[in-house]
Amino acid sequence: MSIKKQIAKRIAELIIILIILSFLTFLLMYLAPGDPAEKRLSSQGVAITKEVLEAEQERMGLLRPFMVRYGEWFTGILHGDWGVSFKDDLPVAPKLISGLKNTTILALSSLILSLIVSIPLGIASAVKKNSVLDHIVRLLSFIGNALPNFLISVLLMYFLCIVFNLFPVVADGSIQGLCLPALSLAIPMAGRFTRQIRTEIMEQLDQEYVTGLRTRGVSEKDILIHNVFHNASGHIFTIIALQIGTLMGGSVVIETIFRWPGIGKLVMDSINARDYPTIMGFVLIMGTIYVVINFISDVLYHVLDPRV
Amino acid sequence: MSDLLLKINGLSASYGDEDIIKDVSFGMLPGEIVCIVGESGSGKSTLVKAIHGMSDLQITGGNIVFEGTDLATLPSKVRRKLMGNGIGLIPQDPGASFNPIRKLDVQFKESLAGHDMPYDEDKIDKMLKTIGLADGKTVLKNRPFELSGGMNQRIAIAAAMMFEPRLLLCDEATSALDVTTAGAVVEELLKIRESNGTSILLVTHHLGIAKKMADNIGIMKNGRLIEYGSVDKIFESPENEYTRNLIRDVPRLKKKK
Amino acid sequence: MKKQKAKLRKRVIIAAVFAGILVLIAVFSGVLAPNDPYATNSELIRQAPSAQFLFGTDNLGRCVLSRVLIGARTTIASTFFLVAISFIIGMIVGMLCGFYGGIVDDILMRIADLMLAFPQMVVAIAVAGILGGGLGGAMIALGITMWTSFARLARSHTLSIKNEPYITAARLQGKNGLQIMMTHIMPNILEPVLINALTQIGTTMIGISGLSFLGLGVVAPQAEWGSMISEARAYIQIAPWAVLFPAAATVITIIVFNYLGDAVMEYRKAE
Repeated sequence: MSIKKQIAKRIAELIIILIILSFLTFLLMYLAPGDPAEKRLSSQGVAITKEVLEAEQERMGLLRPFMVRYGEWFTGILHGDWGVSFKDDLPVAPKLISGLKNTTILALSSLILSLIVSIPLGIASAVKKNSVLDHIVRLLSFIGNALPNFLISVLLMYFLCIVFNLFPVVADGSIQGLCLPALSLAIPMAGRFTRQIRTEIMEQLDQEYVTGLRTRGVSEKDILIHNVFHNASGHIFTIIALQIGTLMGGSVVIETIFRWPGIGKLVMDSINARDYPTIMGFVLIMGTIYVVINFISDVLYHVLDPRV
Repeated sequence: MSDLLLKINGLSASYGDEDIIKDVSFGMLPGEIVCIVGESGSGKSTLVKAIHGMSDLQITGGNIVFEGTDLATLPSKVRRKLMGNGIGLIPQDPGASFNPIRKLDVQFKESLAGHDMPYDEDKIDKMLKTIGLADGKTVLKNRPFELSGGMNQRIAIAAAMMFEPRLLLCDEATSALDVTTAGAVVEELLKIRESNGTSILLVTHHLGIAKKMADNIGIMKNGRLIEYGSVDKIFESPENEYTRNLIRDVPRLKKKK
Repeated sequence: MKKQKAKLRKRVIIAAVFAGILVLIAVFSGVLAPNDPYATNSELIRQAPSAQFLFGTDNLGRCVLSRVLIGARTTIASTFFLVAISFIIGMIVGMLCGFYGGIVDDILMRIADLMLAFPQMVVAIAVAGILGGGLGGAMIALGITMWTSFARLARSHTLSIKNEPYITAARLQGKNGLQIMMTHIMPNILEPVLINALTQIGTTMIGISGLSFLGLGVVAPQAEWGSMISEARAYIQIAPWAVLFPAAATVITIIVFNYLGDAVMEYRKAE
């Protein structure tokens, strides 16, 4: 099969997966316990009678058949209409977009931060296998990997904000406020990346071609950068793409802790308010991004290592 | 004795446990062809690895003197630069000696640039032709994984020869090739010696090839060099029982190259 | 090589001893706790660590040490339970798929693929959020995606042994599929799947305490490390011990179980 055909097939699969994702998301909200209409009325302080409740359910469109509601919701999404928030009647899409923007800033900075640390450390500890450096790097990455990010953020807050007074406690979207949340997300991720990159590089260094290049007098630097890292990069992209899922989950926690105005904080607020359209939008957006990123990383892998 | 190209003095080497080669000594003159013959496990490939020094083999005793310098005393960068045009290698599995997913011409350029040598496409093409690869220029635009095993082997052999090394190590390089190609490679090795005065250290289990090429032959068994001498001496008056057995077992393939 | 193996075995034993101690602490936490973990006392709020309260007290005057100990039971028990349930479901699904193949295999594996196509923690947060908190909800939320790794592993191991002579012999003896799976396949694929379970404990613990931290796991006042940290971080300036002790407990437990998982994996690789 030609590459183009394969990509076309994968894109078709991708679309089917996304449709299933949207269906499951909707189903989940449909099956959810608790009545949003009731929640909404009680939060507005309205005395709930049967008539009032039914009228509100009617108004919110909760009484029509499941498939009709799903169809409407889905076609709406295709047209950019993600529904109206149960909480404040504002359209969901702009909220999600502005949250997504902030989350992207946070996620990208933590991703870059962790890669800046873990790529050199992973390579160095693979090259100097069993050296003191390798042992230290392995210990640090092992500990980093074992730290839940909520814990890191609480500890960072305590030591950097309170004990040493270096950072503001609340991250209101400023650059300074970005530091701690990004660091909290980056630390466990750097631990995982370092471990995985070290393994990848070691595997490449064991390949016969490395000896072959050495006996042809190619310098160790050229071997490492242009051959070993080059060959490992396909795998490294896959590793990164798979971490995006953990990063998304982590950003919900971190944004809530630091009040970073991202999509993760938005979804926690929405969960507390039973604001289903916003939660659905969140799951759909995150799922789509994850699926698309993994698709891209697959294609990239194929480009970088055409043997597969 | 100072005009020796390579002098190996009481060399022992191991991978951490037991010594795989023990107390091996011999010397090579410029332009000389030496064949080391032995069965698998005799340590003959390990000897080659010890000389090129690019694997994780550890030298546990003795030394290797190349052009008057003890190789162990060289800084690693200088040592590395010696590889290719000082000491070249045709490995046991030459096809696996290239990065499988980078274009061959890029890899050729990379290794040549390390020695400040120009990338001469025509020369490489000619080299490839002599060992049976027509259309070398197109072939080099490929990545090794796209080519057959046989093609990769020939390219790697050409790559080793391209540097015109002063000492060329061949580790069973012909064993994986078909008889015709192996013959062509042997011919080509002899021609290189003729034109450049290259010394060749060839490791093989095939006494026939040794007889055809070598000036001197060494016999290895259980990590030791048990006999060393000129081709005539080894074949006419072998001292060792083991050598006699080896000679008796040489298949009679007189007609073949 | 032998030396290397003996060293690896020693690592496994040490890690297992530590893990065993943690499990024992969790089991006997009711006996070990010096005070009632739920007894509030308005006169003893935010007491610094002392002889009476080794880890101090929290915002409601509850003994932090006792809560950490009882919390060990909540965290470790729910983690083990979740891993065990995912393991059992995964084993059953994986063996059925691998042994029978066909359309059931196709459908179940497609579902597993689908589950893996979505980010696990995002799914977990959404599901736990919608189920409205509670430890059960959090476990369901994490379990939805967790069984798939066990199922895939069990399936691939089943496939690799299903045509072995002893399985064919059992078939020829007229044993039915269920008997063969229980007596011949399960014992042979148990080890790799169990090791996978072991390596999942740390991540699962992070997941459960993360959800609890968000308020999507255990419900107050039940003691659980994630929720204790979440509650106490509001007054961390005044009573840092109420955060630091459950935090240390979490980190130590995850490190011990991760280390055990790594050690067992390496030991098995060396075999």
